[in-house]
Amino acid sequence: MELFVQLLANTLQIGSVYVLFALGLTLIFGVMKIINFAHGAFYTAAALIVTSVVPFATATLGLPLWAGYLLAAIAAIAVVLCLGALVYSLGFQYVLKDLNGSFILSIGLLLVLNGAYLAIYGGAPRSVPQILPGTISIFGATLTAQRLALVIVAAIVTGGLYLLIERTRLGLALRAVAQDQEAAMLQGMPYRRVALYGFMIGAGLAACAGVLMAPINAVTPVSGDEFLIKAFIIIIIGGLGSVAGAIVGGLFIAVVESVGGYFFDPSTATLAMFILVIVFLLVRPQGILGNAE
Amino acid sequence: MDTVNSVRLLGAAALSLLLAQGAQAQETLKLGLSVPLSGAAATWGLGMEWAAEQAVERVNAEGGVTANGKTYMFDVVAYDNKYSATEGARNAQTMLNRDGVKFIAGAIGTAPVRAMQALTERNGVILFSTAWGKSVKGPEYPYTFTQMNTPFEILEPFYTFIKKQHPDLATAVLISPNDATGQELEPVAVETWKGLGVEMLASDWYERGTTEFQPIATKIASLNPDLVDFSAAPPTDVGSILKELDVLGWDGVKVMSAGTSVDALTAVAGEAAEGAYLGASADFDSETATDVQRELNANARKALGEPLNGITISSYDAIMALRAAILAADSVDPTKVKDVLPSVRFESSYGPSGFGGEAVYGYPQQMLIPVIVTQVENGKAVELTRNNPAELEALLND
Amino acid sequence: MLNRSSGVWICVALAIGAVLFALLATNPYYTSLVVWILTNAVLASALRFVLQIGELNIATAAFFGIGAYTAAITAVLFGWPFWLTLVLAPLVAATLSALFGWVTLRAKGPYFLLISFAVTEVIRLIYTQTNAIGGNSGLVGMFPPMAIDAYYPALAVALLAATLFALYGVERSDLGRMFMAIKNNDAIPRSVGLNVVFLKVLCVVIAAAAVGLAGGLHAYANNVIAPADFTYFVAILALAYVKIGGEGHPFGPVLGAAVLTLVGQWVAGISAWENIFYGAVIVATVLAFPGGLVGLATRARSLVIRSGQ
Repeated sequence: MELFVQLLANTLQIGSVYVLFALGLTLIFGVMKIINFAHGAFYTAAALIVTSVVPFATATLGLPLWAGYLLAAIAAIAVVLCLGALVYSLGFQYVLKDLNGSFILSIGLLLVLNGAYLAIYGGAPRSVPQILPGTISIFGATLTAQRLALVIVAAIVTGGLYLLIERTRLGLALRAVAQDQEAAMLQGMPYRRVALYGFMIGAGLAACAGVLMAPINAVTPVSGDEFLIKAFIIIIIGGLGSVAGAIVGGLFIAVVESVGGYFFDPSTATLAMFILVIVFLLVRPQGILGNAE
Repeated sequence: MDTVNSVRLLGAAALSLLLAQGAQAQETLKLGLSVPLSGAAATWGLGMEWAAEQAVERVNAEGGVTANGKTYMFDVVAYDNKYSATEGARNAQTMLNRDGVKFIAGAIGTAPVRAMQALTERNGVILFSTAWGKSVKGPEYPYTFTQMNTPFEILEPFYTFIKKQHPDLATAVLISPNDATGQELEPVAVETWKGLGVEMLASDWYERGTTEFQPIATKIASLNPDLVDFSAAPPTDVGSILKELDVLGWDGVKVMSAGTSVDALTAVAGEAAEGAYLGASADFDSETATDVQRELNANARKALGEPLNGITISSYDAIMALRAAILAADSVDPTKVKDVLPSVRFESSYGPSGFGGEAVYGYPQQMLIPVIVTQVENGKAVELTRNNPAELEALLND
Repeated sequence: MLNRSSGVWICVALAIGAVLFALLATNPYYTSLVVWILTNAVLASALRFVLQIGELNIATAAFFGIGAYTAAITAVLFGWPFWLTLVLAPLVAATLSALFGWVTLRAKGPYFLLISFAVTEVIRLIYTQTNAIGGNSGLVGMFPPMAIDAYYPALAVALLAATLFALYGVERSDLGRMFMAIKNNDAIPRSVGLNVVFLKVLCVVIAAAAVGLAGGLHAYANNVIAPADFTYFVAILALAYVKIGGEGHPFGPVLGAAVLTLVGQWVAGISAWENIFYGAVIVATVLAFPGGLVGLATRARSLVIRSGQ
């Protein structure tokens, strides 16, 4: 029982980051029909900014740690949103719906951004102090307060996104464009503006993940890329462009990693993940919640 | 179709420009580095490049190196090998046949090093590498030298020391990254622990690039071994696992055979790293470090944002060895230099050094440097013991 | 563009020139450079070949690896003769790709892309976990026989160039037209009685045979191979060659491979700036010339012709 609860806790901890990361990727795909290989660069940018603003805010401005972190979080998300708007308007808006063109553009972008991060920050791992120290025990499973906070914030952000998509005019526009872009344009939807918003929300979600993970894991210039491959698997399983699918897929992959890593070893779990996704796609090519094209 | 020709011309022009640069400064000896300069291991490549530049600056400031009546200045060129065999082979081809490099003062990564050997050995170019495998050494590779300690030097004294500190050790778990270094270390580690009477409860693998370590930590905690050996896992990964283990309440002996950077380890794990033993991390700030190391380390912190470690400092030592060998051979012909290297004496950053390892590898091509065991105390690496290999001891008493 | 037959003859002349260069040039760096360019050209052309049926096949990287591993395993572990290993490389790659295609080609577009990506990763992970083939350290010691060692670059260039012409030949044949028909809309070819699934598999198999041979030649050119040489990134770079050279013309991928390989070599040795520069070239070219360099040449030519009239 205790083991079961611990594995469940592990799944939620792992899954919440994956979900945030994959949501952005799937949203961008849904609206723009592009696969953004540079998505991890948004995560990395946010995490790196947190690692430089927190020491500045606490040491130079004399703010308490939590306030410094809050300031860093706002700064990081703001910078990443600007970066997102910049890459969209300089690059991605010219390759909308061009799967291969956008793929290559994002690869070039990834090389440039990663190179720039390395040049600015060096390769050494960076970290920020824990914001919420201490551990919490629930039904025999233990986890850090920091991780618990991450799970809760991730759940709130995910819930917020869901409301945004389901309940607002922007959400309606995003869904309409994702389903049938031409019909949406005929209805008078400003496609390019909707795509820009979709892209920025996606970038913002990656930034949130980066901000939340910065106090937990070391930050390096390639931190974000390491989530990318798993996020791809997640959105395939969930169905490309499906928000609910990204959530289900993210949790599913977290279960595989958590249970497989415990009963076998993490390396085997990784291999199993890839094989599962292939088998899965052959049975249901459109993903759990995707629409058949 | 003219584009093709103009592209060829452009390329040829660019290449001849590069060649011309080499031709202008005739008295310059180019030292190549083939290291990862992008991706997760870039920090090693950048550190090694920096350390090589410091060595070169020092050699040149001291008047360069004179052989056969001619004075040569050193120069460093670093190439990105992306940790792959393909890029390693391309690096070697570019260095040897485009840029005229005759001495490679540092190469990181087993696969790229093996790919480079195919060219360096055949063309008679000296190759210093950090590769851990026994497969890159032996009498058939007389141009290859190893610039840092490998598991065959480290594990025996390191594990023996730990076992002495904790005589009750009975069970262990080994966690290895699924990469070339991990695969080379794992069997040696398992054997060595068994030889010391420690039972291996599990030997598990994880993929490089894993971000979440709760599953493996949960498994370790439930096996509850006396000791966990993180073998060749990089410090940030070890830090993540240690942090999770701490949360789960496991508190045993922590061992990092390839533990290089204490800063990276404590940055991630914080207090959870306390007490961990490191096999490849010399504390270059400590009193037992040499003046050279302390100065290099202080400057490295400023330039790179992190201290040096056993891997990154090795290019400095390789360049010092090369200088001594060129002087001893009185020649910059790599064939002559490789003949004197096994017997040359030089001043490494650790102090007097030479080459040995004939008994293990069949050829004296292993740089002799002390095996330094450190332990994390209050977030710093503290040196516990320093073990000179017998051959180094003999050389020092000479 | 030039009319088709003179264009082909120019390419034949270029290919013969490349072989002669590989045969006669004294500096092994330059002969290796020609081999790298042509290996990349075959990878890019094979990727573009499957793009004819509208699919982006990331597993191109996997079949390149299978060709290389086939040659290396048969040569190093079994000690089979050189020529036999070179024949087996494309055969094994083609056979496995038939299985791959038959199973996966019911998916399309981004789904096929991502399945092929997952397959590539699985195959790489299998190499790393198989000790018999060297695990992560890979296999070492694939050398061409002594008698042809000196001519090996020329041999490789000749075989790779022949592969490029073969791909071109298929593209221009009736079969190539059928592939094109599938891309545009697979309902129409189906309605006239073509077996669409069979044609798609055939397309993937032909491309896999081409990269399988390139992989075998790569193993001998490099002497050492390891799993990290065959990540999905190989296919992504190949796509960059296709996009930058120009997708619309068979010569595009060859030109793109030549340009980017030379750029990559030009920046080699400038330390960490290498990647920034390389990435910037990709971004700039994709944005500035959406039709690639060949598209640019075509446009320039039509402008010249128009102003001349």
